[in-house]
Amino acid sequence: MTERTIIAVGSRAAPYHANGRLFDGQSPVAQPVALSFDDAAKTLVIATDEGDIAHQWPFESLRRVPGAAADQLVVSSTDAGDARLHMPGGDARLIRTRAPKLDRRHLRVRRGRLAGLVVAAVAAVALMLAVLVPALADRLANYLPPEGEAALGEATLAQVRNALGDALMGPLPMCDGPEGLEALAALQDRLSPEADVTVRVLDHPMVNAFALPGGVVILFDGLIQTADSAEEVAAVLAHETGHVVARDPTRTALRSAGSIGVLDLLFGDFAGGAMVLFLTERIISASYTQEAEAAADSYAHEALARASISPAAIATLFERIKAERGDADPIVQHFLAHPAMADRIEAARAAVPEGQRTEPALSDAAWAGLRAICD
Amino acid sequence: MSVDEVAPVAFAGRRGSLMALALRVGLLTLATLGVYRFWGRTRLRRWYWSAVQPGGDPLEYTGDGAEKFAGFLMAVCVLALWLGVVNLLLMFVSLSWLAAPWLAYVLSVVGLIPVWAYARYRARAYMLARTRWRGIRFGMAPGAAGYAGRVCLHGMFTLATLGALWPRMTFKLEKYRTDRTYFGTLRLHQGGQWTILLPAYTPVLVCGAFALASLLLAATSTPRMVWLAVPFGIGALYGIVRYRVLSIRLMAEAKTAGGLSLIATPDPVRVARIVGFGWLAITIVLALPLIGAAFVYALAPAGRIELLLATDPTNPLALLALALFLILYFGLFVAYGVLRHGLITMPLWRHYAESLTVTGTSALAAVRQRDRQAAPEAGGLAEALDIGAAI
Repeated sequence: MTERTIIAVGSRAAPYHANGRLFDGQSPVAQPVALSFDDAAKTLVIATDEGDIAHQWPFESLRRVPGAAADQLVVSSTDAGDARLHMPGGDARLIRTRAPKLDRRHLRVRRGRLAGLVVAAVAAVALMLAVLVPALADRLANYLPPEGEAALGEATLAQVRNALGDALMGPLPMCDGPEGLEALAALQDRLSPEADVTVRVLDHPMVNAFALPGGVVILFDGLIQTADSAEEVAAVLAHETGHVVARDPTRTALRSAGSIGVLDLLFGDFAGGAMVLFLTERIISASYTQEAEAAADSYAHEALARASISPAAIATLFERIKAERGDADPIVQHFLAHPAMADRIEAARAAVPEGQRTEPALSDAAWAGLRAICD
Repeated sequence: MSVDEVAPVAFAGRRGSLMALALRVGLLTLATLGVYRFWGRTRLRRWYWSAVQPGGDPLEYTGDGAEKFAGFLMAVCVLALWLGVVNLLLMFVSLSWLAAPWLAYVLSVVGLIPVWAYARYRARAYMLARTRWRGIRFGMAPGAAGYAGRVCLHGMFTLATLGALWPRMTFKLEKYRTDRTYFGTLRLHQGGQWTILLPAYTPVLVCGAFALASLLLAATSTPRMVWLAVPFGIGALYGIVRYRVLSIRLMAEAKTAGGLSLIATPDPVRVARIVGFGWLAITIVLALPLIGAAFVYALAPAGRIELLLATDPTNPLALLALALFLILYFGLFVAYGVLRHGLITMPLWRHYAESLTVTGTSALAAVRQRDRQAAPEAGGLAEALDIGAAI
């Protein structure tokens, strides 16, 4: 340690001496050099074997080349381009006390350009997700043949069942109580005899329903258990059938087919899985546009009126969920916090034809069968 | 001027410092929702490069996180358009013609292969342009499109011959890359022919054929033959590891540059041991907290946690469960990265480095510096496609 103690005595002969190897940045052959400090001129003096001063690197200009190994120190100078000076690792402290910017790194990319690129990338992705994919999906949905739609629906249903199922029990089971299925088919036939729609029930407590491409409507068992009467289930069914007839789910599913790759790209390492879950959630609680919802509602009102069922049933269902669970309940939030929901309840009441003569949506036995479809 | 004729490659990095670095990088990546990964990868590369020391002098990685991030953003601009529209069209065509979505999945993966190869070449060129040894830059001549074409072509040959032409693909692609690689003004050359790899590949072919044959027999006539597939399958798996190591060795020893050449002696058994024990250790370490969590979950009353989360998400107990779940989920991600670096990547690098010697180093005197290449794309395409996830 003592032989390296620094005592600055003059401008020339500082008592620090070490041997290093200089790579001049032009050739990979090392030049053995003798190193010393000129503390007056604030430079690192690099001399050849013969004692001639070859370079003087200002302390300010010295940069350490970061590295894993502590046994040697590699130094460059902002004044000396590609040149590299290899010196004993033990000297790091001596250099550090003199070179104030030893560990500084310079940024090669200008911040302005980087910010511009961030904006461009965000814009490209937003353009893709918000404009191009939806526009293209909406057009293509009209040209998709029925078999294609059915296949898309099947794939989407499998995705939903996997997302809601769990690792041990496998995908979420479908309910197939024969009386229940029969009741649903009869009800569907009465509501929309012209539409080719299959109704299935998933064994999950969620109070929800959704439509899939290819004429499939899915009810969750939670909805059937929460409904007070077959009329309320019929109202939900009619609304979802409205979406099927308008091909809303086909558009959404095609959109997600286009979006999934883009989102995967952005989120990289951490979880493509989370993205799939997110998109599945969007299919289940499919928020279609205001116009699409309004169209599905008016389809439902007509279908219900034609089938001698009161369109007001949907209003009673929503109101009862709200009364039973309170405003803070997430399901109520989901259904009712939507500003248009109050209007929709009112519209349902208004759609009841004057002097409508209603008939029960299902017989008591069929209703009991439907409620037990998942048992 | 005296220059040693032989320069053995040393490896000077310590596991502890690498794992600490990987931990910092992992946590920062998590905290920034993945944005830090570009800077993180740069820091890790700097560590690995500087640990590898041919002739005692460390390699230097001069890449820059911001540069990588910028390259990634450029790639996103292009790929977002490509992926969205093309995936949508493929899905439409697949559904219209076949009434099934599988064709779209297959085509979107197959369609990415040339893009992937192109990106890989560009990423390697960027990496080399940002690598120095003794102050001199490496570099790679342009040729990404040609590389992508060759990957597709050789891939088809290999598939068509049920894997028999795999060594030909390995060699031709390595030759294409090597012959375009420079150290300063010195161009590398891949000598030899693809047939030098055949002896190393034969065991894979033989074991694979027997495994396949016993599976076919089991499926068609004698179900008991399925047991015969197990030893042959394991043999083929080890054969693949052995082939990879030996092909690196054989091709390294056939590489020259001016008067320089390489002596490479990586050991397949050692590599198989590193990889095998590494994965075993990682699996055990990561499984422990999962088993613990499953235990806690099993002890909780049935359905109680889900119900709480669904109905009363602001309940402290539900928040606690959610927080624990998130910590476990993301903690496993970070731990996996740290362990993989410490137990697999670094030991492999150390072994490959320490089993390599550069000979004929007096030829270095003729080498001169090459100009710095601007690389606006900076391997961003590969980054966006998540290629080379290790470092």
